[in-house]
Amino acid sequence: MSNLAGKANAMTLITPIDGPVMALINKGIFFFLGTKLFRFKLNGLLTLSMIHYARWVIVSGRDFPRLSHSQPAEDLDYRYMLFFSNFNGSWAQYVDSFSAAIPDGLDGLWWQNVGWPKSVPEQPFHRYVTDNQLWTSHYYSAYPMAASNDIKSAKNVKDKLAQFSRESAHDEPDAFLHRYNRLLQSLQHDLGQLAPTPIVSLASQAVEQRRRSDARSNV
Amino acid sequence: MANENGNAYALTTLCPLLEVSGEDASPAALIRDRLHRVNTGASSPMAKVPNVYFCRFLILDDVIYESKPYRLEHLKSQYLVFEASLHGKLGPYLYGMWQHAQPFVRSMWQFCVGFSEVNDAASFTTYIQKCQVKTTFFFNGSTDESLAEQLKSLYLKQEFSKFAYAHQGWSAKDLKAAFQDFIVRVEPTNLARPTWRAGATDLKDVVIP
Repeated sequence: MSNLAGKANAMTLITPIDGPVMALINKGIFFFLGTKLFRFKLNGLLTLSMIHYARWVIVSGRDFPRLSHSQPAEDLDYRYMLFFSNFNGSWAQYVDSFSAAIPDGLDGLWWQNVGWPKSVPEQPFHRYVTDNQLWTSHYYSAYPMAASNDIKSAKNVKDKLAQFSRESAHDEPDAFLHRYNRLLQSLQHDLGQLAPTPIVSLASQAVEQRRRSDARSNV
Repeated sequence: MANENGNAYALTTLCPLLEVSGEDASPAALIRDRLHRVNTGASSPMAKVPNVYFCRFLILDDVIYESKPYRLEHLKSQYLVFEASLHGKLGPYLYGMWQHAQPFVRSMWQFCVGFSEVNDAASFTTYIQKCQVKTTFFFNGSTDESLAEQLKSLYLKQEFSKFAYAHQGWSAKDLKAAFQDFIVRVEPTNLARPTWRAGATDLKDVVIP
């Protein structure tokens, strides 16, 4: 059981929302966030650049799939919001970054969720996130050695390398060198070699050692 | 549509578990045990499935009680939660999942209500769509490229970083010749190879030559 896949960390939360009106308001908040007019509200998330992908899913009891008449229908008073995030860094780095950088944004995204203590001060917020978190049994990332910023910088390297390769093909050596130096200058924030994640915690190191041992025995 | 953001698709499923497994343990315990034994990284069965950026499996036993003064309520079923962030449309992804990870799929969903009717890619797609819940809001903080493009980009970033480091101070003529050799070697427009291996956790085996 692990929420970690290299540099990626999986957070899964389930939080109650008090009734259909509150659920509608929360859905309205997300609807407006999806429009061009209010998209700037996501700038904090984009600037922190810790998240690859995240989603919020609000469900009522009737939304829980019922695949057979013998399966009992769910009968819930609360609506529930499921939150799935794929982010970089440790749990504490993630939670603290958002609490410090966009506290109002978090309070809006979990607006009036049952028991939500507000994102500041941190201690009650930490406790709420911990209490409402579900643990992942299997987590997969297609690029465990890459952070979200690595994916973005890699795209920049690829695009600029293609352009450089095209434009410099017929350059004389001196002109080539000049253009090459300009390329390196423009990529100075993007170059750098990737490597496996450093140890996040002793517990995660123990999990990793166990995994490798299991993988060897499964070969 | 809230399940989509750009070219990325957010698949969220809640698959109800059978009440009994017919074995010595509950369906939830059996699935958890199997999930914990699944290889991770490049050996994960999901690494063979095209265009999945991230995915996770977990068991939802019950909803969370926020303690007094709030109401206590319970789910009547347990659910296998499977969520994936993928590139492109859902149909081709599920088809690929069935094609490339069928033994894993059968093993994990075996104890779910309705899965007994699944016997091919089409019925698997239908089954997953029945278990799907609609995403309210999907945040895409990535580049919106296909997984093959992203993996190739990571490969090029790694290789060009090495190249730039190794060729500092070279003469213009030698540098140009070395760069041309480099481009021939890394094949920037060939997404199939050389590239990075999906799920790789170690630099020793990260490159598909």
